[in-house]
This record gives sequence, C-alpha cells and structure tokens, in this order.
Amino acid sequence: MQPPGEETLVEQARRGDSAAFEALVLAYQSLAFRTAFVIAGDASDAEEAAQDAFVKAHRALGRFRTGERFRPWLLTIVANEARNRRRARGRRAALVLRAPPEPGAAGADPADALLGTERREQLLAAVQRLRDDDRDVLACRYFLDLSEEETAAALGVARGTVKSRTHRALVRLEEELR
Amino acid sequence: MTDLELELRDLGAHLDIPPARPVLGVVAARLVRRRRRRRRTVVLAVAIATVAIAVAFAVPGSRASLLRFFHVRGAAVSVVDRLPRLTTHRPLGEPIPLDTAPFRLLLPDGRRPEKVYAGDGGGYWLRYPGLLLFEFESDAGIDILKKATLGMTDVEYVQVDGAPGIWIGGRHALYLPGGPPRAAGRTLIWQRGRLTLRLEAAVGRDRALAIARSVR
Repeated sequence: MQPPGEETLVEQARRGDSAAFEALVLAYQSLAFRTAFVIAGDASDAEEAAQDAFVKAHRALGRFRTGERFRPWLLTIVANEARNRRRARGRRAALVLRAPPEPGAAGADPADALLGTERREQLLAAVQRLRDDDRDVLACRYFLDLSEEETAAALGVARGTVKSRTHRALVRLEEELR
Repeated sequence: MTDLELELRDLGAHLDIPPARPVLGVVAARLVRRRRRRRRTVVLAVAIATVAIAVAFAVPGSRASLLRFFHVRGAAVSVVDRLPRLTTHRPLGEPIPLDTAPFRLLLPDGRRPEKVYAGDGGGYWLRYPGLLLFEFESDAGIDILKKATLGMTDVEYVQVDGAPGIWIGGRHALYLPGGPPRAAGRTLIWQRGRLTLRLEAAVGRDRALAIARSVR
C-alpha cells in the first residue's frame, strides 16, 4: 500500500493529526540535522536546532499555505535556528574532513588518495576563510545539494540573490585558492 | 558545472558530518507535553486524560531513553533502549458472554471467539486459538494502550482499509491502566470507526493485516 504523500501528511498534521506530523519529522530529521550541522558546525547545536525547528514548525502549521512546499518551508526554520546558535556561540566551529582510508585499503591508489586529501584540505581551508554568507551559500548548494529554491529558503533571501551570491562566492573562493 | 563546483561537491561528500541524531522521540514528547499544558488551561479534566509520553514511562523500574514515538488514536508506542521487567502471566479479566459488552465487538471473519474477557481500561479481550484481540472505544481521546519496544524491533505505520495503524514486529511491553507492564509479541494496532483494535498473534505483518481487514 502506498504511504500517504507529503501534501496529505501536511494537511493531516494541520488538522491536528500527530501521527502525520511524526511521519514528517521522521522523513526530514536527517536533512534537518545535516543542514543545521553545516551551518552551526557543531553536532550538539545541530541536534538542538533540529528539535526546536520541528517544534516551531508544528506551532506554525496554521500559517502554512496550502500548495506551498513543505521542505523549503521547514529548511527556513531549521537554518534560522542553526544561525541563532552560531551567533550565540560567537564563532563558527570548523568543518573537517573524514579520516582518509588506511593505506593499503581496497580501492583507490594510495598516491591518488593522498593527492585528493591534500587538495580537499586546501579547498576546505579556503572555504572556511570566506565570509559567513559566502560560505553558507556554497554549503547549501554543494555540500547539502539543495536546489536554488531550497537554498533561498534556508538563507532567507530571494532566488535571484542565491544565483548572484553563489557566483560571488565562487569568484572569492578562486581568489583564496591562488 | 565548472571544475571548482565539481570539487566542492566532492568535498561535501568527504566532510566529517556525524550521523544524524534522531529527534523524533524528543520532538513528539515535547509536542505531547505542550498539548497537555494547553489543554490544562482549558479544562483540567481533559488535561488529566491527555497522556504524555513522559507519563507513560513514569512506571517504576523504567529509566529508558525514548528513541522514537508512534501514535494512533488511543494507543502510543515508544521505542526505547531498554524494557522494564515484564510479567508474563497476567489474567486478562473477568470472563463475560460475547453479547454483553456495551458496544458491538468486531470479530475476525465474523468467527466467534473461544472466550471474551472484560479487561482493564474499558477494553475487551477476545481469545482465539493462537490469536488475541483487544478492542476498546477510543473516541474519548485517551491513550488506553501504551507500549514500549526496543530500538532493534521493527515498528512501522501501516494502514488497514485506509485507517491508520501500527505494526510491532517483535517483543515489547504492553501497559494497560492499573497494571504492571506485560510481555507481548508481534502486534498490530489499528483504528476502525469508534474503536481501536489490537491483534497479537505469532504471524507476520502481511498475515496480521489480512486478519485485520477481515474483522467485521
């Protein structure tokens, strides 16, 4: 049997069906955590931001417009919560790379893997040196693979601003890498 | 997409992002607590009837962490990291004739049960060979059934003839009003009209759903 679609779940949740809202939380808790982590840079902050965002989303369901898409709407709330925590902390925790595979592990050539790791470290360091708004737009578009619409919702800006800010951030990143 | 954009994508795939921490359980519990506070301000009696998940675990001996939460009308299922001590031999209630229940009991395939018992919380047990059915009027909005199950147990939302239900694919604790938690096995809970039904049998999910659909 087909599970109920997202629109149906949102509509049921708006009418007070707690099971429908829980199904939405279940579907989006991973995306909410990742988004909050990339913005706040800290796992505990990300977890709290995701929790608070869902509770606030539930409270705001009455203002959710029929036909609106739930995912970008939720991302706006999650990203706000994550930015609030980043501001409260006063600094951004740095993102780090996963540990590379052990030498001799099956798969890539060790020399290639080393070069890849070095380049990624260089690129990540350059991203970390960017301003918050440049870094956020690159994180949403390329680390989280969000669409322009979702990035606009997460950053609280117009879709056109996402295009121009992405372009500007890529230019600045290239300058950082020179 | 430029080379730099491709490199950023690749970088995103190599970032050390910790596994997402499940928030459903905490969010559900906070919403239940919030709903309870709001109702209390309106009518105290209604607030008393509103059962928060925290209350469900205020059972002596239960210090488990809530991992996930499922709910259909009249029943709440909490996925926790450990179960309390469970009793296995608990009487179902007073035996009664089938037609003396205050509402019409629904029967799988219309078959009469071996025995009917008036159970706790205003519910009725129907005993069949290898199958136990529990029925109660759930339209009062009170969670009569509360269940706790371990994180590794398969729990999922299902539908029975379009109505919401929950399938629990393993051992769990069953809480009924006024008694200690009881050990229970594979169970399907679903809504049917004004009733919520609970079917417990050593069968798989699909067979349990087929039995549930045959109830009339």
